[in-house]
Amino acid sequence: MTVGLNHYLAVSGLLFCIGLAGVLFRRNLLVVYMCIEMMLAAASLALVAFSRFRGDLDGQVLALLVISVAAAEVAVGLALIVAVCRRGLKPTADELAGMKL
Amino acid sequence: MSGFSAIGLELAVVVGALAILMIGVCVSSERRSFLSYVAALFVGLVLLSSFLVSWPEKQAFFEGTYLVDGLALFFKRLFLVAAGFVLVMASGSSRETAIGVEFPVLVLIALAGMMFAASAGGFILLFVALELVTVTFYVLVAFARNTRRSLEAGVKFLIIGAVTSAFLVLGMAFVYGATGTMNFDELRVAPIDVGNKQLFDIGLVLVFVGVGFKLAAVPSQIWAPDVYEGAPAPVGAFLASGSKAVGLVLIVRVMNSTMLQGETLWAVLLAVSAVASILYGALCAIPQKDLKRLLGYSSIVTAGYLLIGLASGSEAGIGASLYYMTAYTFAALAVFTVVSIVFGASEPAEIVGLAGLYKRSPLLAVALTLSMISLAGIPPLAGFFGKFLLVKSAVGSAGLKTGLVVLIGVMVVGILISIYYYFGVIRAVYWVAPSKDGKSIIVTRSERVALIMLMVGLVWLGLFPGRLIRASSGAVGSIAPSRQAIAEVVKHDGERR
Repeated sequence: MTVGLNHYLAVSGLLFCIGLAGVLFRRNLLVVYMCIEMMLAAASLALVAFSRFRGDLDGQVLALLVISVAAAEVAVGLALIVAVCRRGLKPTADELAGMKL
Repeated sequence: MSGFSAIGLELAVVVGALAILMIGVCVSSERRSFLSYVAALFVGLVLLSSFLVSWPEKQAFFEGTYLVDGLALFFKRLFLVAAGFVLVMASGSSRETAIGVEFPVLVLIALAGMMFAASAGGFILLFVALELVTVTFYVLVAFARNTRRSLEAGVKFLIIGAVTSAFLVLGMAFVYGATGTMNFDELRVAPIDVGNKQLFDIGLVLVFVGVGFKLAAVPSQIWAPDVYEGAPAPVGAFLASGSKAVGLVLIVRVMNSTMLQGETLWAVLLAVSAVASILYGALCAIPQKDLKRLLGYSSIVTAGYLLIGLASGSEAGIGASLYYMTAYTFAALAVFTVVSIVFGASEPAEIVGLAGLYKRSPLLAVALTLSMISLAGIPPLAGFFGKFLLVKSAVGSAGLKTGLVVLIGVMVVGILISIYYYFGVIRAVYWVAPSKDGKSIIVTRSERVALIMLMVGLVWLGLFPGRLIRASSGAVGSIAPSRQAIAEVVKHDGERR
């Protein structure tokens, strides 16, 4: 069996959905960040797959940029977690639910 | 004009940000507030110089990734104006709160990102510029990190922002997969095979979700109330003005480049999102007790109004959205300036606390009243004229299509509800007796000048809208696809059938 575009897209879609489910249902902020990274990785995989099968490099360029942007996002996110812990709060979604409708 | 002079405004802003960072390191912490003034003056200079340079009518740089046209310039000037007022606001609030040296620097970097985004000629620059703005805003929203609300707002903003940016990347991947290009000009004429049409449509919806995050439009509106409430007031002001405008300009760019292949999809998408945004925002705003949170919901309603202009699809409609965005920017900046003076930058802004404001500071009371009246859309202020233009463009382009009639109906309902909650604020200012400790409020000279400028802007745009209408319709006209491009797509469609 040769691995075609659809295989890559299926993996990417699966990863994306797992990530989204994790963001929705996990309470620990660190795990939520990991799931977000997974969603971004899934999207990058789709980009690279399209790029490979179209024989065009633009998609891979964007995938590289997505990776670097994701790193910046995590840097800020971890800094936020540190700030949360410094205030003596647990970094969980339940702890940070003071503002409601 | 060479590439590097084309990005001159952005370069100037980035260099200014670095210079202010360098100066800030050398200055003692008591004298930091003057840095914000310096940054504001600098932004003013850049704005002035944008009028002195003669820009090409329409030109692409850096392999077509960076565009200089009327639309880009219109929004860049809007961003510069917004950033200037935000910096003045920050200089006032740095007196009592710990708004450090990084604040003006971060505002300038976000500003540079916004200006790049306005010129995006393809998905790559769109994504990078958008993320430059968003990541900077993660820091800005959580800037008052010694208060729990600001931290909470920051975390919520980060999670929802990151998730929607993942949607954006996936959407870009799908559109790219269906068309084979990321460049807006090529996208406009790219042939799409019948088998790929679905992929393309899903991709567009995902991109809309990702960009709609900035605009605070349904379905990515959920962060707005919490973040507006928790973020420091100057940051809230920048979110309501600059960040929202980034969403608008990017949606206009993407829509403009995919209109020919996805016309029905865009019409449905924009109309549904507009109706949902207006109803959600207006209904949730009614019981609010915190002014900043109320503005969060009102910003969702505004996103709905802006989308109505786009949904009508005509040049006049998009121009009306641009006009309304400008009017909203002035009103939101004025409200947040008043909030940051009365309550302090990162304190809760309970509407009860405005009681008797007209005795404590008549200037603040007048500014708040004028901006509320403008937001509610009562003549003769800018907000009224913006809403009038939106309805007019929708009616004009509709003929009598049922969909647009529903849109206009929802918009009228939204306006009626909003009059109720905006007047709750005005009532607190004039008809509620002040509490015992209601002392008069000190307004610094720069804040007074900023407020007066904003009020003059609101009245002037309402009474003499001609100039801005010409500017916005010129901006929209500059991105209209050439006849040749339309003919090419139509020809390709014909071959396919």
